[in-house]
Amino acid sequence: MINLTRAALLATLGFMVAAGPSAAQTRALVVGSSATYPPFAYETPAKEIAGFDVDIIKAIAQKTGLTLKIVNTPFTGVFASLNNGDLDLIISGVTINDRRRQSYDFTAPYFEARQLIAVHRNSTVKGLQDLTGKKIGVVTGSTGDDVASRAFGKTSANIRRFDTTPLVIAELAGYGVDAAIGDNGVIAYRVAEQKDLKTVDDLTFPKEYFGIVVKQGNAALRKTLNTGLAAIQADGSYATIYRKWFKTEPPVLPKQ
Amino acid sequence: MEPVLWFGWFRADIIAEYSELFWRGLWMTIGVTIVCILQGSLLGLLVGMARLAEARHPPARQLCRFLIRWPATVYVSFFRGTPLFVQILLMHFAVLPLLINPVDGWLIAGDTAREIKQDYGALVSGVLALTLNAGAYISEIFRAGIQSIDRGQTEAARSLGLSYRQAMYHVVLPQAFRRMLPPLGNNAIALLKDSSLVSAVGLAELAYAARTVAGAYSRYWEPYLTIAFMYWTLTLALAYMVRRLEHRYGRGDTR
Amino acid sequence: MDAAIHVEALSKRFGALEVLRGIDCAVAESEVVCVIGPSGSGKSTLLRCLNGLEEATSGRVLVHGVPVHDRATDLDAVRTEIGMVFQRFNLFPHKTVLQNITLAPAALRNLAPAEARARAEALLHKVGVFDKRDAYPNQLSGGQQQRVAIARALAMQPRIMLFDEPTSSLDPEMVDEVLTVMQALADEGMTMVVVTHEMGFARRVADRVLFMDDGRIVEEGPPEELFEHPSAERTQRFLAKVLRA
Repeated sequence: MINLTRAALLATLGFMVAAGPSAAQTRALVVGSSATYPPFAYETPAKEIAGFDVDIIKAIAQKTGLTLKIVNTPFTGVFASLNNGDLDLIISGVTINDRRRQSYDFTAPYFEARQLIAVHRNSTVKGLQDLTGKKIGVVTGSTGDDVASRAFGKTSANIRRFDTTPLVIAELAGYGVDAAIGDNGVIAYRVAEQKDLKTVDDLTFPKEYFGIVVKQGNAALRKTLNTGLAAIQADGSYATIYRKWFKTEPPVLPKQ
Repeated sequence: MEPVLWFGWFRADIIAEYSELFWRGLWMTIGVTIVCILQGSLLGLLVGMARLAEARHPPARQLCRFLIRWPATVYVSFFRGTPLFVQILLMHFAVLPLLINPVDGWLIAGDTAREIKQDYGALVSGVLALTLNAGAYISEIFRAGIQSIDRGQTEAARSLGLSYRQAMYHVVLPQAFRRMLPPLGNNAIALLKDSSLVSAVGLAELAYAARTVAGAYSRYWEPYLTIAFMYWTLTLALAYMVRRLEHRYGRGDTR
Repeated sequence: MDAAIHVEALSKRFGALEVLRGIDCAVAESEVVCVIGPSGSGKSTLLRCLNGLEEATSGRVLVHGVPVHDRATDLDAVRTEIGMVFQRFNLFPHKTVLQNITLAPAALRNLAPAEARARAEALLHKVGVFDKRDAYPNQLSGGQQQRVAIARALAMQPRIMLFDEPTSSLDPEMVDEVLTVMQALADEGMTMVVVTHEMGFARRVADRVLFMDDGRIVEEGPPEELFEHPSAERTQRFLAKVLRA
């Protein structure tokens, strides 16, 4: 009898040790996402945060045994919150670039993005070069901002910066700017809502990638997330989620 | 750019990179502030007097109440009772597109509308919202200032045969103005800082420059500390000017 | 209708309070009328009705034949003919003594600055405050301020002067300097209505004294008669109280 109890106890202990990190993981990770960025992250009428990013991070969490708490954070403050510990990670359509890599760490890419131009239906703009001298609306600090700044000068008076994509689109619709530049997913989604606008695909725009952001030096979390990401790509759940939001097959993502 | 570190952490180079934006932004902020203070004061004076308007005999008496006093009261209540941020967004994304639109603008349409909207759209909305907002607060300052002047002053002026307007211009307003300088000065300083909100509709002033840098580098200390010091300097300068004004016009008052 | 001022059945009420109950009186050209009575009797209100500072609830006030409270009347124009001196002086504190006096003539009679200044200086000589012409009111004593106020009212060359308890706010030693100026005015033939507590002045200078109580003129007559032989009992009681000193 004693042997059975002991065995049972040992087994339980062993189980707990094996389940180690997951069981010991009592604190929910705080995830920052700017929920004004459909289809990546947005607020449903039921006040829940939904979107491609949300589904991806939830899938990763499931694979790696993390518990999450998703918090809607305005994009302009999201990095500061990461740095001061209010957030553990950010998944919010953040493009991986060198400038950001100077101050933050990224996981492997989870989405391939291109920039897209939005204009009025009767515009003759065919690509970025046609925008010379025109007024361009972008989201402050976004890749679109980067593209426009590189092409026309970062202090150019023709670049108009706004806090969110809906505001940029509103400005375009109100004729305050001639064109808007933003991430393909979001721009396409927003333009579909407006009868008077259309998108222009400039194939000279390089491909870019979204990554999950963690605080510089947080190697442990980064590794966990990368493991989860690789796992969901391997077993097809990534493809399922991608098809759900973008209605096409996902491209193959680079490993970093 | 090569990182230039001040105190071991402050990356001064990213500010230098965008120095043109900060410089332009500084002048935009100063310009917007001055214009809105002046316009807001004028509007505030008119509305403040409108709130005190009275006529002796009907029908002017009723007309006065409903067409002058009442609209003035509603205007003041609305612009003091709603957040300035909301007013700016409303003005830029709702009101102005109605008025100035290349397609169907009520006030201005066609190509002029497009030009105005693109080059000056945010400026117009911002100045309009700030002026209306300031006007409401300043009108209360004027109203209180005018009412604080002893009735005997008006009586003496009117007894001499001066008209209402003359009594206001020569006797009441000059005295009220002295009393109103401190709260007016406060309002001016508040307006200077409130002008930062117009960056949300894309006006390239100081706060906009900071947002841009923060957006590009995801670093917040450098840009926001920089503009904090710039705003601080501006408000100190403004406060100094107000003090000089108070000093200059304080002579001869019974206080 | 020779009278400078004619008051007919004048009544005034503030809400439920009846302050003037049917006043009838007249003031002749060059006459000096003093109005006396206890506080709350309506003396000041009556005076203020004469130049339209108070509205009449009913009744009429005619100044040189012009109805003061009529809608069609240009009240500002009428007021240029009537000067008023207040108990609290009401000088304009942000202007110098000289500027206080030249303001109205320059604005209303289109006087050139030099002319306005000359007239003001003459008046200042007359009231004896010339040396303070560039000072501000708060640098003057009460007596000096009131004399400046008189000069200010005179600058418009009115035909009637109204005085609302002109010495009540003054320290006793300054009362005389103001009364002296007022007497000089009376001697020159100015039509004056003076609400006052200075019985000595009334006795010396007034052509007629009105005694008011509770919104009505109780008694009126030449000062010798009213002061020596008051007929109404209320007058007697009032005079007994004030003339005790």
